[in-house]
Amino acid sequence: MKIWSSEHVFSYPWETVIKAAMRKYPNPMNPSVVGVDVLDRNLDTHGRLHSHRLLSTEWGLPAIVRAILGTSRTLTYVKEHSIVDPDEKKMELCSTNITLTNLVSVDERLVYTPHPENPGITVLTQEAIITVKGVSLSSYLEGLMALKISANARKGWDAIEWIIQNSERESVPFCSLC
Amino acid sequence: MNSVGEGCTELKREYDQCFNRWFADKFLKGDRSGDPCTEMFKKYQTCVQKAIKDKDIPIDGVEFMGPNKEK
Repeated sequence: MKIWSSEHVFSYPWETVIKAAMRKYPNPMNPSVVGVDVLDRNLDTHGRLHSHRLLSTEWGLPAIVRAILGTSRTLTYVKEHSIVDPDEKKMELCSTNITLTNLVSVDERLVYTPHPENPGITVLTQEAIITVKGVSLSSYLEGLMALKISANARKGWDAIEWIIQNSERESVPFCSLC
Repeated sequence: MNSVGEGCTELKREYDQCFNRWFADKFLKGDRSGDPCTEMFKKYQTCVQKAIKDKDIPIDGVEFMGPNKEK
């Protein structure tokens, strides 16, 4: 088992980041996510929005990893549950893979909150637990997957920035001095 | 973004558009009434649930580390 964690700060208010996070895919930085479906969505009694989504992802594992795991199948389905609490200003998102589970499990948790000292910016804390099952070299593979997750996290941050810049551009008047 | 069911992508786009508008303009601004996209969601679900069944995607029965559970 390998645990990976990270923190990232976006220079945008929470609402802006959350809007982008909710429509993060598609984006040019994460081509590995090839499909996203909403399976269930509801408001709970505290006014929080729950979304259950199914992500279709191409993991693009290196050939050596595929060889060790003994699978050529790299299309993996991931189930994701997110909760947006607009009063607390908190978005929490958990995900886990639901296929290839006999080989590997990757559980991720992301939390977006306003920065405690500067409400104009947003903090994302992110952690992942990776477990490769039943093969020798599993700690080697877990290390490789952690590197992959780390690289993907960076791409995810860029993706949020990209969405914000692209959607903000649409809503901002062309000439702000006019 | 595509749906897992090739034929559901258009239905999904319509629903996403409706939902994103509600999310940004109502929900995040404190309006607590539900989203107006229920009918679109139902149509989209009929399509996507069938695709999930056809493709044998195991969406149930996986122990899920949900946000509510103790870590």
